[in-house]
Amino acid sequence: MLSLIHNELLVITGRWRSYIGFIGISILMPLILWGFAYGSESLQNDYARGFEGSFMIVGSIINAFLATYIIMNALWIHIPFLITLAAGDAVAADGSNGIFRLTLIRPVSRLKILLSKLLASYIYAAALVIFCAFWSLGIGSMVLGTGDLIVIDNGILILNETEAWLRMFLSFSLAIIVMCMVSTLCFMFSSMVNNGIGPIIGAMFLIIVGYIIIAIPLDFFRRIEPYVFVSYFNVWLDAFKDPIPWILIGKKLSVLITYSLLFFGISAFVFLNKDIKS
Amino acid sequence: MILEANNLTKSFGLRKAVNNLSLEIPNGSVYGFLGPNGSGKSTTIRIMTALISPDVGEVFINGNSIQKNGSKALSDVGALIERADFHKHLSARTNLKMLARMDGTDFSAIQKVLDRTGLGDRANDKVKTYSQGMKQRLGIAQALMGNPKLLILDEPTNGLDPEGMKEIRDLVGELSSEGITIFISSHLLDEVQKICSHIAMISLGELITSGKIEDLLRDSEILMTEIHVDQTKKAMNLLSNYKWIHRCDVKEGILRVSLVENKISEVVNILVQNNILVSAIIPKTSLEDLYLSKMEINRKV
Repeated sequence: MLSLIHNELLVITGRWRSYIGFIGISILMPLILWGFAYGSESLQNDYARGFEGSFMIVGSIINAFLATYIIMNALWIHIPFLITLAAGDAVAADGSNGIFRLTLIRPVSRLKILLSKLLASYIYAAALVIFCAFWSLGIGSMVLGTGDLIVIDNGILILNETEAWLRMFLSFSLAIIVMCMVSTLCFMFSSMVNNGIGPIIGAMFLIIVGYIIIAIPLDFFRRIEPYVFVSYFNVWLDAFKDPIPWILIGKKLSVLITYSLLFFGISAFVFLNKDIKS
Repeated sequence: MILEANNLTKSFGLRKAVNNLSLEIPNGSVYGFLGPNGSGKSTTIRIMTALISPDVGEVFINGNSIQKNGSKALSDVGALIERADFHKHLSARTNLKMLARMDGTDFSAIQKVLDRTGLGDRANDKVKTYSQGMKQRLGIAQALMGNPKLLILDEPTNGLDPEGMKEIRDLVGELSSEGITIFISSHLLDEVQKICSHIAMISLGELITSGKIEDLLRDSEILMTEIHVDQTKKAMNLLSNYKWIHRCDVKEGILRVSLVENKISEVVNILVQNNILVSAIIPKTSLEDLYLSKMEINRKV
């Protein structure tokens, strides 16, 4: 299985499309960090307004942790799109390029081939999230420094530096699981067609519809929201609650994993019964 | 038998691509698979290599069912199905390494098969820089990598120039002499007759005939005869009126007639009675003649 995953990673790293996400992050992150470093006064004022009556602020609350927290809030809608760029091609491209005529005639089961493709797209998703963390936390801590993380959610939570590192680690780990679920969704569409664009559009369509459902406060939408997998994408935010709601996180993860298993099950059914005609 | 296909049937929608097709491929043979475009050759080959599941029937390779135990059955098979498509952005060597990982083949085999197919010097070049002929040779290289006992080649000379075709023909001859069974589908009947020991012909998904080429040509009801006459056009027009003459044409000034063997004297009689001088009768049944006659009969049926 490891050698099959190795093969798939060679294919992913050989496609220019796979680098779009990394290039995008590499362009965007320095701009955002530069913005935090040199234009954060108004942001600090806005942010501190919520608790200036209770606390006296000495120095800047803007640091790599707060920047990362704000960046993640802004990007969690867009990162899935970058993830689908690789997952969309995972199965479909081999069909359209005729590669299956070379690989599926070999003494390896289709299920193993499919699983290796899925795991490779998980590795890609994880790499992209880690790359994001590297920029916002790694480079960010060099540019903005570190310190306490002040989170305003249903109250004010102040996390010391050590705790902030741990929460960030937990948060990015949860984000990786969410992005793996996005990969599986796109992968399912990829196993159904012979064109890498269709799965990207299909997956993004479902995700955007999900975002719309959870954003509009209608009674009907509230009723179906528990069944909309997108409503569990914000599990990474739970890492910044106090105390950490482990049971809630566990529930959200189990829903995401169940959906992932369902999507992979559909992929496997389609792929194992697929006639390779092209 | 290295491969047995039993009662294969496959439909796509309402169209039956393969209909109750059975084949037996003897060990060590070079087996030609012939049929017109759309006759079901590619579908049959894809069923044999587990790319397509049959609606009915089963394929056994060395006694292992492709449908039930595909991994074991395919461990003895190397195949090139239609065009050779690789990851274009990767080198030939990297592509073969990827496939070797799937086969569990040692990487040392890669240089051997690349040298054998004349690509040793270009092994590190990206596939996108290859000509169609080189890609096709790389396709054969990947098929040879796992030391297969059965090599399945679907139109291997497609896109090759005459020199490339000869190289493939020579390679097939070499591989056959090493004891590898070769199943080859081709439109080039002359090529097939030169390299194959056995053939099967299919039309509309059904088997028309199969067996050793020499037996089929010897036992054929159809005899292609070259008749040297002084008035070829008149003779052709005259004989074309007889329904028991399957085909009648003129090639390089010589009348060629496809007919049932015991009617040669009748043909000569007709020509002579119509004042056409017959100077020679030479039996010349080729695989092409057999093929065209069988297809013609099948069309009429």
